[in-house]
Amino acid sequence: MADMLLPKNQALRLTRYEYRLVFEKKGRARYISHLDLMRAFQRVFKRAGIPLWYTQGFNPHAYLMFPLALPLGTDSSVEPLDIALIEELPFDELRDRINACMPEGLRIVSAGKPEMKHTEIAFAEYVIRLVTDRSPKETAEAFRSFLSADRIEVEKRTKKRGINLVDIKPHIDLLFLEAGESETSISLRLPAGNEFNLNTGVVLDAFASVFEGKIDSIYTTRTKILTKTGEYFI
Amino acid sequence: MIEIKEKLEQLLLKTQKPARYIGGELGSVVKDKSKVDVRFAFCFPDIYDVGMSHLGMKILYGLKNAVPNYWCERVFMPEKDFEALMRENDIPLYALESLDPIRDFDFIGFTLQYELSFTNVLEMLDLAGLPVYAKDRKELTPIVVGGGPCVCNPEPIADFFDLFILGEGEEVNLELMRLYEKMKPLSPTKEEFLREAAKIEGIYVPRFYDVDYNDDGTVKSITPNVPEAKERITKRVIPDFDHAYYPDSFVVPFTQIVHDRVVVEVLRGCIRGCRFCQAGFIYRPFREKSIGTIAGETRTLCEQTGYEEVSLSSLSTSDHTKITELLTSLSDYTDKENINLSLPSLRIDTMSKEIVDRIAAVRKSGLTFAPEAGTQRLRDVINKNITEDEIIRTCRLAFAEGYQTVKLYFMLGLPEETDEDIAGIAELAQKVVDLYYETPKEQRGKSVQVSVSASTFVPKPFTPFEFEPQATPEEIKRKQGFLLDNIKSKKIRISYHQQRVSVLEGILARGDRRLSKVIYTAWSKGCTLDSWDEHFRFDLWQEAFDECGTDTAFYANRRRGYDEVMPWSHLDYMISRRFLVNENKKAHEAKTTRNCAEGCSGCGIKKECGGVYCG
Repeated sequence: MADMLLPKNQALRLTRYEYRLVFEKKGRARYISHLDLMRAFQRVFKRAGIPLWYTQGFNPHAYLMFPLALPLGTDSSVEPLDIALIEELPFDELRDRINACMPEGLRIVSAGKPEMKHTEIAFAEYVIRLVTDRSPKETAEAFRSFLSADRIEVEKRTKKRGINLVDIKPHIDLLFLEAGESETSISLRLPAGNEFNLNTGVVLDAFASVFEGKIDSIYTTRTKILTKTGEYFI
Repeated sequence: MIEIKEKLEQLLLKTQKPARYIGGELGSVVKDKSKVDVRFAFCFPDIYDVGMSHLGMKILYGLKNAVPNYWCERVFMPEKDFEALMRENDIPLYALESLDPIRDFDFIGFTLQYELSFTNVLEMLDLAGLPVYAKDRKELTPIVVGGGPCVCNPEPIADFFDLFILGEGEEVNLELMRLYEKMKPLSPTKEEFLREAAKIEGIYVPRFYDVDYNDDGTVKSITPNVPEAKERITKRVIPDFDHAYYPDSFVVPFTQIVHDRVVVEVLRGCIRGCRFCQAGFIYRPFREKSIGTIAGETRTLCEQTGYEEVSLSSLSTSDHTKITELLTSLSDYTDKENINLSLPSLRIDTMSKEIVDRIAAVRKSGLTFAPEAGTQRLRDVINKNITEDEIIRTCRLAFAEGYQTVKLYFMLGLPEETDEDIAGIAELAQKVVDLYYETPKEQRGKSVQVSVSASTFVPKPFTPFEFEPQATPEEIKRKQGFLLDNIKSKKIRISYHQQRVSVLEGILARGDRRLSKVIYTAWSKGCTLDSWDEHFRFDLWQEAFDECGTDTAFYANRRRGYDEVMPWSHLDYMISRRFLVNENKKAHEAKTTRNCAEGCSGCGIKKECGGVYCG
């Protein structure tokens, strides 16, 4: 029965080489949901012939891990994706082989070794471009006055106590606010990660509920993922 | 159309599964518009999740896009939530590759896979900003064409289409597009173009035929009204099926669809001749691909898509003349690549131990059989040549291999059916359950589940049962109740169709041109996505029938005479009326007919069509 100890599947090897990819999700690809993105990447790796390491359990599957989910509709070129391989590949080769098999809107920006733990993610920065039926200047002023309120309360669903009111005001860090010719640009730093995560959507919904005009379009880009001390997550 | 794209960007975040409405999937073909001469919008009249699983669309999409100056794009029916957003924001129906409105295309083609998608065709034309009636679309383009199995009786929707394509599309689609490419610079009228198109074999232009009716409401005659229109239009067949076009690339969706895997077509047509089965007759003759072709297509598509599952598609995969060799060859490749090989459409009687082992090696989950009827006598009536012994033998084999679920498909309301036959369904299911318990504990799986699906029989054109009355909804309801009363074991689960859905399907399947008005009225009242239980509104359909003064029993529950002119009598699917009449008579005598492999029974298909067993 000694051979029972060896994994039946050749891909079940104990040595694994970990990589952290940084990818871009833009254009039409923005509408791929988080779950679908996982599947899309699995197929990309299959097509590219990347030797993925498989988890060992009843249902072995390729190890793919997104340290931070990107909300549907937000674009970004700073998204981390951790993978494990059963053999070592040069960073540039790994990047290029994957990119050759990517669908429109998805691209690997860089490949490297993971240096930090997922739990070190604490903040993310965003640029939001708003178009409303008011002038950009009016919109910018409205946003500033929205942020100057004493409290900004939003409803939060909890498993135990149903709907809760939470004050998000202390968590919103305004980096800049600019009225352009046709749109208003807002840059925010918000808490991100497992401990406490605040989406731009929640902030904008709160703004929309007090804003007197009508928001015609919102275009959000995630620009940075940072640690507690403000370092880039790498 | 930057405008549509910009509008979409805001709306997509307000809808379910937005990836369905924006395109950009791997394998989707985007061309430079300035270098394209003919644009084709390939419409599947149901939602993305269903349409993207459809093999015919993958084939024709690849085929047309292989021509450098033709561009074929995909279009699906939006879900109701997104459809409302499109209408509120004045977004016309657009194609997924270019995001251009399809009303500006040269062709709009619908594949008609089931009758309950008819109202979706009207909805999609309307969403595109086009009049739904062909007579109201006076410009040359877009030319609205239809293909697929429902085209064997397209009469109920004839008023909405410019032309139909009968049979297999691999050659005739390109012939039609070439004709258009040639005529386009001459700026012909629509009538001029359609007259030329009518000369192409397999193309049916409904406006060129006058239909007259008898006093009793049956069709009296169908007469061509222009010289270009042939007396009878014959379906197209690809005789050299092994060398037929097959795509080397699939569009790989982001969001999960019904059949999310590589599909390779292994054979076309069926040797069996089950008397209820339309597919078994209209796709004749039986042709197959060689093992080399199938293996090559499998490998190419697995590599291109990155899918981890491949499925073999056909009406009856085990009828491939070299099935064991084929499965051996394929599983050598799929095992090595960690790819699942799935084999739907296996017939019980040809399943050897070797095949059962092959499938079991991949997944030991479920086994599906379609005995269709509960007793041997009724199986002889429908010419489903399976014996109870064969079912029991295979189930015994499967249970010993550890299989735990068995699905059994049956039909209620078949011609010559008695209560004894219905009780037979329950008895057969019970025997399968008993068989599990007879299997030694060390061999069998943990538990057993026998699922019995009892659908309602719907008589279809070009089958020996095209003459038969469909059981009334009341009768079906009684039969369903009777079946339930006869089920004793908790291990047996029963499911059946809504009777109203089957009634509508039956009416539309054998309807004539006068039903166009009913379909239009039902659609105007809000009927769309009829094949979805949550959207099906029989009350609105009933109103439409009443307002149009249509006697539904005339279409559904009436026995047709052997010499009656059918609404589809001018369409030639190469199955002779004499053969169908003969088969119908044999059915009533419970006499079976041998399958094509055992010997020719003279259905009418010519040997030039390339059938393996013909001539």
